[in-house]
Amino acid sequence: MAIVHLVSVSKRYGATVAVEDFSLDIADGEFVTLLGPSGCGKTTTLRIVAGLVEPTSGRIRFDDQDVTDLPPRKRNIGFVFQTPALFPHLSVADNIGFGLSVKKARKDQIAARVDEMLTMVGLSGYGARLPAQLSGGQQQRIALARVLATDPRVLLFDEPLSALDKNLRDSLKYSILDLQRRTRKTAIYVTHDQSEAFAISDRIVVMNAGHAEQIGTQTDIYLHPQTPFVAEFIGANNGLPGKVTGTDGSGDDERSVVSAGGLTLRARPRAGVGPGDEVLVYLRPENLVVLPDGDGAGYDNVVDGTIERVIFEGPTAQLRVDVAGRELRVDVSGGRRLELIQRHGRVRLGFNDLTLIPVTAAAAPPPTS
Amino acid sequence: MTAMTLHRPRLKARRLTDILSHGYIWFCLVLFVLPFVALLTQSLGERGGTSGIDNYADVFGSFGDNLLWSFKISGLALLVDLAVCLPAAYALVRYPVPGKRVIFSLLQLPLYVPGAVIGLSLLMTYTFVYPIEFMWGLVLAMSVGSFPLMLTPIVVALKDLPLVFEEAAECLGATKWQAYRKIVFPLIGPGVSAGLLLCFIIVFNEYLVTLFVAPPDLETAPLRVFNLVRTNGLAPSTAALAVTMQLISFVAVLAFFRLFGTRHFKGTYIL
Repeated sequence: MAIVHLVSVSKRYGATVAVEDFSLDIADGEFVTLLGPSGCGKTTTLRIVAGLVEPTSGRIRFDDQDVTDLPPRKRNIGFVFQTPALFPHLSVADNIGFGLSVKKARKDQIAARVDEMLTMVGLSGYGARLPAQLSGGQQQRIALARVLATDPRVLLFDEPLSALDKNLRDSLKYSILDLQRRTRKTAIYVTHDQSEAFAISDRIVVMNAGHAEQIGTQTDIYLHPQTPFVAEFIGANNGLPGKVTGTDGSGDDERSVVSAGGLTLRARPRAGVGPGDEVLVYLRPENLVVLPDGDGAGYDNVVDGTIERVIFEGPTAQLRVDVAGRELRVDVSGGRRLELIQRHGRVRLGFNDLTLIPVTAAAAPPPTS
Repeated sequence: MTAMTLHRPRLKARRLTDILSHGYIWFCLVLFVLPFVALLTQSLGERGGTSGIDNYADVFGSFGDNLLWSFKISGLALLVDLAVCLPAAYALVRYPVPGKRVIFSLLQLPLYVPGAVIGLSLLMTYTFVYPIEFMWGLVLAMSVGSFPLMLTPIVVALKDLPLVFEEAAECLGATKWQAYRKIVFPLIGPGVSAGLLLCFIIVFNEYLVTLFVAPPDLETAPLRVFNLVRTNGLAPSTAALAVTMQLISFVAVLAFFRLFGTRHFKGTYIL
């Protein structure tokens, strides 16, 4: 249990920048996820926190202790790897007790702790088995028990579920969250899987090209993306380049008017974005509503288009609609999807919630230097 | 009728393949076993009215000392090899040593160089340049000649061992040494045991380097066989010693595959 500070952490391998000036403060007991595509530096960041990788510059602090120069064994961390990495020649009990045995704990203390941990992960009675006799999910739970046995200050997870099948991933991610909540340990979790990140995090750090694009809660990141990368990486999005031409209305009804590819769109104004600015306009597919012809009341924007393709996905149907030469994705759920999959030809779309992102945000720090 | 004539050649072709493949296996076996059988027959030959079994009494009588020396020298050479190769292999695999490949190739040199050349250079080294007491010169010479056979399987085993086990151990609070002793060493066991077997067989049966380097009062079993054959021809008792040595090597190989250590030390790297 500790507050973790990453202060301007950078890691370079020759000319390649893996992590660039990364700062993050994690509260005691908080569950923070580093989310990003492969190669974005999230694992390197986690390994720097663990002490497995030495940062080129920057400091790591746990509470008030600077641990930057300490080896992993002196940081009192629990690291769960992508593979369970259970020692194949040791029994499950010896694996769980390993951390205590290298610290020369008494045998009876170790045995008691091992039993406690096995019960905690729901595998009591498995102590005498060898790792190879367990399933993948059981192995990862033992790996979790093994790190918890040492009572670490910080829990670090490096895509621990990526090697498991989908059903197991779904159940195990809640087990991880549950154990973290019960032990109230600070946790940093690395994943490229959005649904995983959304399910278990207190806060999410979206990473790209070695730096944090945006740090926030699930709703912050989904509803208010700050950069084009976040808007496009998280969920599905329709992005249109455009230019703010003016404003319209006042007070709560004030809207920025944006000209985007032959369309004139009205969006809630965004601080720092004014007439003349180049912007990217983002529309979430689920916010586009297929309107009965002639009805457009209550929507800031109403556009006409032609259905190009309908994809039935089960709970939702995806429409690809050509609007003024641009293809927009529209997601329809509920009973209407069944009605719409029969439809062809022209369609009218209404939508309100547009996100404006100034193009300057796209010119974020270059990925490598 | 026509069906039978069509059938027959196919059956015949299969039988022929069977016979040929079995014949080939037996041919190989005979080829390998024949020298041993010849030696065994010779060792059981009678000399001056005593029975062939008496030849074997010499092995543990007058040749006993020679066998003992062989075991001593082999055991010590293996220990030296282990002491050198375990850290060397770890450094070569786990650390970014510049010129790794060149170093590894150079370390294989004793395998390429003829025994007589090594013997001569070792003789110069341990007799004139750094004179070493008694048997230690021979032990070191054996280690120099055989350590690539120890190093290579350990390097292979280490390369196959994912780094994540060591990292997991260190994150759980183990020192580098604890991680090595408790995790790495048991997991590279098959490589270590393969190295031990190879080195033992080579060192135990080696005579050429011994001929150059051994002090006058130290005669290992292979050297004794060589000396006896040179002076007396192949006497039955000499053959008996040679047979015993072959059996010891054979038992070592069997032990390696069957008995050696626990499940982690079995010789999985050779099969």
